[in-house]
Amino acid sequence: MARDRIVERQRVFRQYKEDVKTRGKPFFPYAMLHDTIMSLVVVLVIIGLAVAWKWSVPGHHTGTASGWLGKLYDTPADPGTFNFVPRPDWYFYFLFYLLRIFKWPPSVILGTVGIPTILLLLLLALPFIDVRAERNPLRRPVAMTAAVLTIISMGILTYKGATAKEALGSELIGKVPEWAKEQGFEKNPLALKGARLFAVTGCLNCHTYLGSGNHNLGAPDLSAIGSKNLGIFFQIAHLKCPSCVNHGSPMPSFASQGNANLTALATFLEASKGPH
Amino acid sequence: MATQKRSRQEQILYPLDWLEERSGLVGAVRYFLLRNVPADTDWFQTLGSATLTAFLVQATTGIVLAMYYQPGPTTAYASIQHITNDVWGGWLVRGMHKWGASVFIILMFLHMGRVFLFGAYKYPRELNWVIGVFLLASGLAEGFTGYLLPWDQTAYWATTVGINLNGTAPFLGPFIAQFLQGGTYINPNTISRFYSIHMLVLPAAIGGLIALHLYLVIRLGVTSPPWSKTAAGLGPLDGSGPNGSGPNGSGPDGSPVAPAPALEGSTSG
Amino acid sequence: MDPSHDNPHVPGPSLWPVGLAIGATVLLVGFVVSWSIVAVGAIIAIVFGILWLRDLTRKSHAREQEVRVEPERRQKGPPRTTHVPRPARTEPATPETMPRNVFLEVTTLGLGGVIGALVALPVLGFTIGPAFLKQGVSHVDLGPLDGFPEGEFLITTFTSSESEGFVSRRTAYIRNNGFVTLPGTKTAQPSFTILSNHCAHLGCPVQPNGPQQVKDTTHYKSVTRIPVNPSGFGCPCHGGQYDTEGNRIAGPPVRGLDRYSFSIVNGHLMLGKPYSVAFVTGKGADAQIHAATLHFPGEQVKGIESWFYPIQPPH
Repeated sequence: MARDRIVERQRVFRQYKEDVKTRGKPFFPYAMLHDTIMSLVVVLVIIGLAVAWKWSVPGHHTGTASGWLGKLYDTPADPGTFNFVPRPDWYFYFLFYLLRIFKWPPSVILGTVGIPTILLLLLLALPFIDVRAERNPLRRPVAMTAAVLTIISMGILTYKGATAKEALGSELIGKVPEWAKEQGFEKNPLALKGARLFAVTGCLNCHTYLGSGNHNLGAPDLSAIGSKNLGIFFQIAHLKCPSCVNHGSPMPSFASQGNANLTALATFLEASKGPH
Repeated sequence: MATQKRSRQEQILYPLDWLEERSGLVGAVRYFLLRNVPADTDWFQTLGSATLTAFLVQATTGIVLAMYYQPGPTTAYASIQHITNDVWGGWLVRGMHKWGASVFIILMFLHMGRVFLFGAYKYPRELNWVIGVFLLASGLAEGFTGYLLPWDQTAYWATTVGINLNGTAPFLGPFIAQFLQGGTYINPNTISRFYSIHMLVLPAAIGGLIALHLYLVIRLGVTSPPWSKTAAGLGPLDGSGPNGSGPNGSGPDGSPVAPAPALEGSTSG
Repeated sequence: MDPSHDNPHVPGPSLWPVGLAIGATVLLVGFVVSWSIVAVGAIIAIVFGILWLRDLTRKSHAREQEVRVEPERRQKGPPRTTHVPRPARTEPATPETMPRNVFLEVTTLGLGGVIGALVALPVLGFTIGPAFLKQGVSHVDLGPLDGFPEGEFLITTFTSSESEGFVSRRTAYIRNNGFVTLPGTKTAQPSFTILSNHCAHLGCPVQPNGPQQVKDTTHYKSVTRIPVNPSGFGCPCHGGQYDTEGNRIAGPPVRGLDRYSFSIVNGHLMLGKPYSVAFVTGKGADAQIHAATLHFPGEQVKGIESWFYPIQPPH
């Protein structure tokens, strides 16, 4: 049985070679012309990207400012930094986002080495798994489905990796005036102070507020928390000990901020009645 | 004998004949250029040579960059600034190298997808596919090692994460990470190591693998697109119309199943 | 066969022209270097030139004489007194031998292997050696204790190895917890919480969640200290969150933040070796740290998955 298959495919290959020898066209110039044109396009695209990269950078096209295609170079490497947001090159974004998906610590190893290794092994094993001789895509449903799923998921993972944001205090603090305007507490200095504290103490690493922050840790959106009228004292008590007030809450305690800061935060939360 | 006057054509061909007699190279190039490929070879099938072109762009721009780049934690960043801002054409060469890397990787994935779509990884081209996967891995490794070389914040921290990713592998992980770093943490050895791997080890591996890959393509032949009627990309052998399918439908190479081998009066190819 | 007999006009083979050429070269070199060398070159050229000329005229006579001598030599040897055939040398009685071609093959491969090993082993050692490097303890002086107000976190950036320079800059989040008297001891010891800012997931630089008071930055030699009031620490890469003891509260970190050991020398806070932490119970001066040897980020130090990393490279 297997022997017949081997003999048959060898015969078919011989037939193919014979066919091409008698009825094929010479590589040069027919196919090579296509290759040459495509290669020219590739080189022009590379040059075009390089030109756009350099000339779109504001400020005499030098320095660490960002143009259409990003920066020419970042600030020098500082191993002692505590303000930088690392990102890999774009073609690794799908792996980067995979690492953000596997948040449960025992599963981390799957995201770091498990899945990439399995994918590589599957790729290597492909010709030995798919031994059918059929080449027409319309008659290879499994292969086509797998291909479409792979392409779509890699595309989505890459896009999500590109747009992934952490809620950084240094960036969020710039949004406070906008929040104040939307919620209507521009005239309330204590609420403004609370808003600034809210931006930098890491609340938005778990919560969302008016479109900023993270929602994939399961913490509630706080844009309209004030509309529940829970009261300043409740807010302060909750911030001091969240699990005392809300059983099973994984939220850590913010008592270390001190009473003055907690009051400001509570005022801000109560003033957040929801966007106008 | 030597005293006869040679015709113009013979005069041109004489150096080629000289080379051919002593090396056989001219015949090899002629075979490569004039071998037959299926008649309806597609634009899709230009992706492979496009990837090769992108790699050659990387190699050439890389060689030029290596003439100005100075590896080492104290000198790398300044040399990159120098190349980008001061050296004549330096911004263009560096830009081509940086964006050529992205284009190279995109083309590799597109080429891989085309080969998958055409089923061109099946018998007898399995070995070629395996070599291709190794080329993909090497290309991605080139991107990873090259990313560290400017020694700016993005470079340093992306590399930290990448090395620690390798460190999570069971059992050997910590040793792999320390091997890549050249120490217990990123130090001046790391950038030298990455430079050596990026510039010497991987290009040699990629060059060798490409040579094998191309040899197999020439030896095993280019496939006709899967929607071809015959292996040679033309109508069926029995001449029943330019687009009619063969009497038994199409087989693995697009050729009709169990065709008649008689080829008298075949159309020009 | 013999060119001087077949074609008497062509001179026979001879080495004397080489000497003449050498002499001529030395003579020319002497023109550049010194006259004495010209003299030496001339002498050599003349001597070898004469010998060559002599050869050209005498060569044919000398060869015939040599040819006659040779057969006489071959006849010398041990006198044959008996007719017993000698035992063939290729078949000795006892030890087994291998055929010559096999011996040559084995020797070639063996020598090739030896050469390969001679080249490869030192190269491999050179390349892989750093995987087994020890970190080396260097104590970093962070300044006098009064630079660390009690109860306050300071973002402390320091150079961990002077010889390596800037590439060894590190940041730690340091809080002075005051003094504590450990059970079973009598004297109060200073207590510090010193958290490494490398995330325990994949090593990204962890940020403090709180306002940084950059205006109140203090310096001690190359050490910078910025006061901060964090409610915890967060990682900008994949969303890991830690509390003020370095315990993981959310996200993918597999253990708590690494800590540095420390000592007090002459009233100065000195940083020692870092170590990994599974988790911490308690707070501040009362914290119980469940410590382990330093692991790479992403490696568990407790539980089943810690069995994946049984051996750490030497630290």
